[in-house]
Amino acid sequence: MSGGDKLRLIVVTPERTLLDEPVASLRFPLYDGDIGILPGRLPLIGRLGVGELHITAAAGETSYFVDGGFVQVIGPNVTLLTNRAVLASELSADEAEKQLTAALAKGAITDEEVTARFAEQQRARKMLALAEKSE
Amino acid sequence: MAKARAIIKRLKAVRNVRKITRTMELVATARFKKAMDRASQAAAYTRKISEIVADLSNSMQEGSTSFQHPLLQQRDTEKKSILLVITSNRGLCGGYNGGVLRHAQTRIRQTRSDNIPLDIEVSGKRGIGFFKFQKIATAASYTHFEDKPTFDEVDVLAKRFIDLFIHGHIDRLDIAYTRFETMARQKAVIETLLPIGKLQPTDAGAAKTATGAVATAAAKPKVDYDFLPSPKEILEEIVPASFKAKLFKCFLDAAVSEQIARMVAMKSATDNADEMIRSIRAQYNRARQSQITSELSEIIGGAAALE
Repeated sequence: MSGGDKLRLIVVTPERTLLDEPVASLRFPLYDGDIGILPGRLPLIGRLGVGELHITAAAGETSYFVDGGFVQVIGPNVTLLTNRAVLASELSADEAEKQLTAALAKGAITDEEVTARFAEQQRARKMLALAEKSE
Repeated sequence: MAKARAIIKRLKAVRNVRKITRTMELVATARFKKAMDRASQAAAYTRKISEIVADLSNSMQEGSTSFQHPLLQQRDTEKKSILLVITSNRGLCGGYNGGVLRHAQTRIRQTRSDNIPLDIEVSGKRGIGFFKFQKIATAASYTHFEDKPTFDEVDVLAKRFIDLFIHGHIDRLDIAYTRFETMARQKAVIETLLPIGKLQPTDAGAAKTATGAVATAAAKPKVDYDFLPSPKEILEEIVPASFKAKLFKCFLDAAVSEQIARMVAMKSATDNADEMIRSIRAQYNRARQSQITSELSEIIGGAAALE
């Protein structure tokens, strides 16, 4: 699949359109695991998870950290709607670690709180893993 | 002589004021451009969300499963509601704050006559000052929303409102702000954000979303999407996201409108100062001339008396 950049990736956050560029392929987390997108993908709407958005383009490979949201694939256009997308190289492991300890220390009594705490821990772990990887 | 000097003093004062208003106008223009950029960039998100919602509801109709979400449901009885008023932190922006506060007051009066407890939350020092003066108690106040509200800041508020609403602590959330319609028109409005009401059409055919935007996807031929997970679960997630986007848009709209209002107010203040300068200068010239004339006639009179 080295026939150039056939996909168009658009990353939109509530504040602005972060990316709008041609890419060759990409990989990002859905709610239940990573998904890879190559040109010619059938239309798709999905819920994003938390984790790494890995982009392969002619210019090289880049990683972003995305924090939930939605994805729409239609034709060559891949649109990611996410609350937050940060370049992996801009993540700080210390900060992620702090968030993880905070999430671990948090008290939770009701079921909802336990789920929320677990989600927060997972989020911090993913962020930490990505931050360490890109360092 | 004294009169001419007094006029000069006034002229200088007006000129100083003009300098200030002119600068403020320029500052507001620069800020407006920035705020406008942010608002138009944020519009992409809202547009995309309503597109997805339209796609989802199209495919939902086939499955004929009616979709229910706590945020969408209209409650039969209103037991408690919240009114969020978005005003500016600074003054000198014409009727901007007045318009919003007037609408807020109407809503307050209405809930009072209906005997519904209402929590008022205010953003902006102008609004806070107003409610303090009116001796109306406010439940919360924020001053950190300046001309560049960030999504993270709004997210905190949005999460709290969603929580309160889902747990039944509030049955309605209204927001009084200035909606940005066009460059030349901004309107102070009151909008009900919660319950959202209809997010997608329940009857087949129309594909207008609650956000008011006609989803562009509806016009296109229907696409068979893969849904991961099911459309229903995605909708469940997208409802709060759309609410957050809406609330964020309110703040952005308010920020843009504030700058426009200030720009317009300062522009007319500058124009007015210009006019004043002109009339004062005319006055001064006349005073100076009459002074010279009287001095001349005094000299001539004195010389004539000597002969």
